[in-house]
Amino acid sequence: MIYLQMFWTFMKIGLFSFGGGYAILAMIRQEVVVNNAWLTQAQFVDVVAISQMTPGPIAINAATFIGYQKGGIGGSLLCTLGVIFPSLIIMLLVTVSYLKLKNQPWFKNIFGKLRLLSLGLIAAALIMVFGDAVQDIFSIIVFLLCLVATWRFKLNPFTMLIAAAIFGMVLG
Amino acid sequence: MLLTLFLTFVKIGAFTIGGAYAMIPLIKREVCQVHKWISEEEFMDGLAAAQSCPGPISVNLSIYVGYHICKGKGMAVALLGCILPSIISILMVAMLFNRFADTLLVHKAFHALRPAVVALIAVPLVQMSLKAGINLMNFWFPLSAAVLVGFMGVSPVYLILLTIAFAVLQSLRKGKA
Repeated sequence: MIYLQMFWTFMKIGLFSFGGGYAILAMIRQEVVVNNAWLTQAQFVDVVAISQMTPGPIAINAATFIGYQKGGIGGSLLCTLGVIFPSLIIMLLVTVSYLKLKNQPWFKNIFGKLRLLSLGLIAAALIMVFGDAVQDIFSIIVFLLCLVATWRFKLNPFTMLIAAAIFGMVLG
Repeated sequence: MLLTLFLTFVKIGAFTIGGAYAMIPLIKREVCQVHKWISEEEFMDGLAAAQSCPGPISVNLSIYVGYHICKGKGMAVALLGCILPSIISILMVAMLFNRFADTLLVHKAFHALRPAVVALIAVPLVQMSLKAGINLMNFWFPLSAAVLVGFMGVSPVYLILLTIAFAVLQSLRKGKA
């Protein structure tokens, strides 16, 4: 029964969260801490930290972690499936219609406008992460170095992340 | 082909740290420049769609890109690749090191990784603005969206619905005229 409820809860979370990882975390908190009391607020803060620090989409990390704590490996897979299930259906429909309709003027117009909004939403995310990430002289230096490396020298993002991690371990 | 797609998304998933937005430049680079699976136009439309649909953005984007390349099979492969590193790393953290987040070395690495991720979001944002057709007439629109969501905490879903409604109305008007 708890398994079914976990799947259902995470499906709701996936269906009603717009705007990526950080918005999804707010939804997860509402469902997992407030509505179902599966985790305490302190445990939830740990989940957020771990989800941000491990590789992969934040929402998938949080779903896997909470699922594991509540129901072992089976629980972790169910929660992950639950959170991606609405995406799978909705994104599939959108992609299929995109391939059929992309030459229709009205459909093009929607995407033209959404593209502009998309930039705004990325800028909004930038505003939100900037304050957390760039706080002291060390992080300002790393930020500027990475800016120059990406902009001027077109450094591969994979290489840059590895370099940043090592740089931080040695000097951070 | 499917194996390359899978491995590409495993690589993308494994290097996504601190949210989907850092993943966008990585996916764009791999999908448009390295493998040339879809055009930059199609990528930007996919990104807009991924942000406008509910769910994790990177998951949405992997579904879009995978379906473009090889229909249902491509979709399944890309999606699985995208979430596999998450599942493996989280299960390892959950089983082995419970206090992973407190390790000094991890803290130090993230001291540099966080600002690196900010730079990874900032640079492509400027490059994408140039390609999205930003001009003096319309730059206020993304700018006000950024302020509303970033500073005032407005939910993006209202802006998404308004944008779609506006675009449809505009087309209807043009159709009549």
